Amino acid sequence: MEPVRIDPKRALDDALRAQQKIAASFRTLREVEDVDYGATDKEAIYQEDKVVVYRYKGKGKPTAKAPLLICYALVNRPYMVDLQEDRSLVKNLLALGEDVYIIDWGYPDGADRWLTLDDYINGYIRRCVDAVAKHAGVKKINLLGICEGGAFSLCFASLYRDKLQNLITMVTPVDFHTKDNMLSHWTRGMDVDLFVDTLGNVPADLMNWCYLTLKPVRLNQQKYVAMLDILDDKVEMENFLRMEKWIFDSPDQAGEAFRQFIRDFYQGNKLVKGGLEIGGKPINLKNITIPVLNIFAEQDHLVPPSASRPLGEHVGTKDYTQLAFKGGHIGIYVSGRAQREVPPAIHEWLAKRTG
Amino acid sequence: MANNGPDTTQLQDDWQKLSNQYWNAWSDATRKAFSVMPDAAASDKAPWHEGLEQWSRMFAASQSQGAQSELVERMLAGARSYFALLQSVAEQGGEGKADPQAWARALRESFNFPGADAAMIDNPLARAMREIAGQGAKGFEQMMEGLQPAMQEARALLDMPAFGYAREHQEHYQRMAKAWLDYQHETNRYNALIARASRRAFEVFEDKLAERGEPGRQIDSVRGLYDLWVDAAEDAYAEVALSDEFRDVYGALVNAQMRVRQNLQREVERVAVDLGMPTRTEIDSIGKRLHELHRDAKNRAESLPDLAAEVAALRAEVERLKAGGADRKQVRRTPRKSAKTAAKE
Repeated sequence: MEPVRIDPKRALDDALRAQQKIAASFRTLREVEDVDYGATDKEAIYQEDKVVVYRYKGKGKPTAKAPLLICYALVNRPYMVDLQEDRSLVKNLLALGEDVYIIDWGYPDGADRWLTLDDYINGYIRRCVDAVAKHAGVKKINLLGICEGGAFSLCFASLYRDKLQNLITMVTPVDFHTKDNMLSHWTRGMDVDLFVDTLGNVPADLMNWCYLTLKPVRLNQQKYVAMLDILDDKVEMENFLRMEKWIFDSPDQAGEAFRQFIRDFYQGNKLVKGGLEIGGKPINLKNITIPVLNIFAEQDHLVPPSASRPLGEHVGTKDYTQLAFKGGHIGIYVSGRAQREVPPAIHEWLAKRTG
Repeated sequence: MANNGPDTTQLQDDWQKLSNQYWNAWSDATRKAFSVMPDAAASDKAPWHEGLEQWSRMFAASQSQGAQSELVERMLAGARSYFALLQSVAEQGGEGKADPQAWARALRESFNFPGADAAMIDNPLARAMREIAGQGAKGFEQMMEGLQPAMQEARALLDMPAFGYAREHQEHYQRMAKAWLDYQHETNRYNALIARASRRAFEVFEDKLAERGEPGRQIDSVRGLYDLWVDAAEDAYAEVALSDEFRDVYGALVNAQMRVRQNLQREVERVAVDLGMPTRTEIDSIGKRLHELHRDAKNRAESLPDLAAEVAALRAEVERLKAGGADRKQVRRTPRKSAKTAAKE
């Protein structure tokens, strides 16, 4: 039997429909509003250099006993967790009674060229955690680390478990040397000292180029072919543009921190192999004895599930929970399924442990 | 039907009719959107693809799109391959090809559409890479193009011994030229792997198509065919990109590019010094010192409350000791005084 049976008339119809959509886009693109992001009001409660900690304002008073601080990755902007009204992890967590804070790392520039992982983890994160605890009037808080921010949170929890009640990691790389980790595979032959000594801070465009080449046809062609379908829909186009803005609104990476992260995590895989030190302090995941919830995405091309799954084998806690989400690295925050599944899972897990 | 093959004369006539129908409808859409008529001559060439090219020109000419024009360009760049496939399917007939190899051939030919970059022939993955247009990569490529004449000149000096007053400069240019040649070499190795991935993509596409010969799994739309091609291309690319060879070549390419950049930076610094301008090295050095001071100041500020508490505790202890001493003195004095007093008394 023939594998393909396409009626040429249907092909014509498809082509015409696509052309009509392109024609309609001329009007749609004029009408789309300047896409903004952030569905939830927030207030700054702590600021240091370019780092700001915000507290999100829910409609009611939080019912959770401990605040939840989100520690996002350095490589993208944190507003992904509160992208828009109907795609907001934050909004859903607030609705469930959580008291949500977030670290915004800002956009590093030349003045931040020498920031190290010591500055980020023993410095910024520690002081942000203290600020949230003080603001909420508690001794211990819950920490939710995302992607690279999850790896930082693991280091932090290993060093300062007395400041934390529970730890949640989302799409967090733990074992960087699994076979399907393309990004890690590519960094192995890189001379990261030469790289950082040459570039200083690592330009965001270079990082984005690298990410796009992980799936060149899907991310550079297919995505825009699929966009043909929504060219005449103002709301869908605004959603698409908002996502585009987030993808390419990326901060440069502070050179020294980047050097350490590539050398010790991507190349050395020291988080699981051992020998990792942050500011001279040894990191041992066995020190993490507080409850841990590890959420990863099954179709994640940036942090494959194989990189996240091993966390349970390495942490010292007896209270370890793992949740596999059917979606990708970004879908875990913005898809309809994510809105239905992820916030309740986090809330219920926390409620059982802190009330 | 599949075994007999389509009637080619009939197919030509049908294709001509469809093309005309398509062109008329497209013209109508264009007129409504832009109030202009498209270039009629274009319809004689490859109207399905040319339609996109004309959209591109019209969007570019329309100044009102502002920041969205890049999005339109990206969309049209992505859509070109899809429309090329559409045209190919309509032109060759969508039915009757039982052989996956024939479809793979048709797909390969469709990507080599009129006006496509000759360097990208049979290499759709390289085209997808080129369409990324990230400034981080593009900027460097443009810089390299600008440096071509200087590099050609430096290449001539490459093997000459350096001597005399300017020998240091000459050696620097030699290093720069060697770095550039090395970068070219690594780029070629990288491009060869991308071309290999493209070739492999067509093989994977054939395999995936063969699986679709089963009842109920046939592809009945161009979009379905395109999506299958994308899956095949990504699978093939991943095979190559996860190989040890790719890892080595990728690393070597990145390192080679960094060496070129570093040599260029040194040259810029040399000129900056001659002109009495601050250099990147100097700024980095100052930045590093400032950062260390900043960190030190933070640590000191953080330790202040502890120090203050310690000082307060020490003061309190001193006070206590003082008070205790006074008491003891008092205690000691009192009996003596009492004794004296008692004696007097």
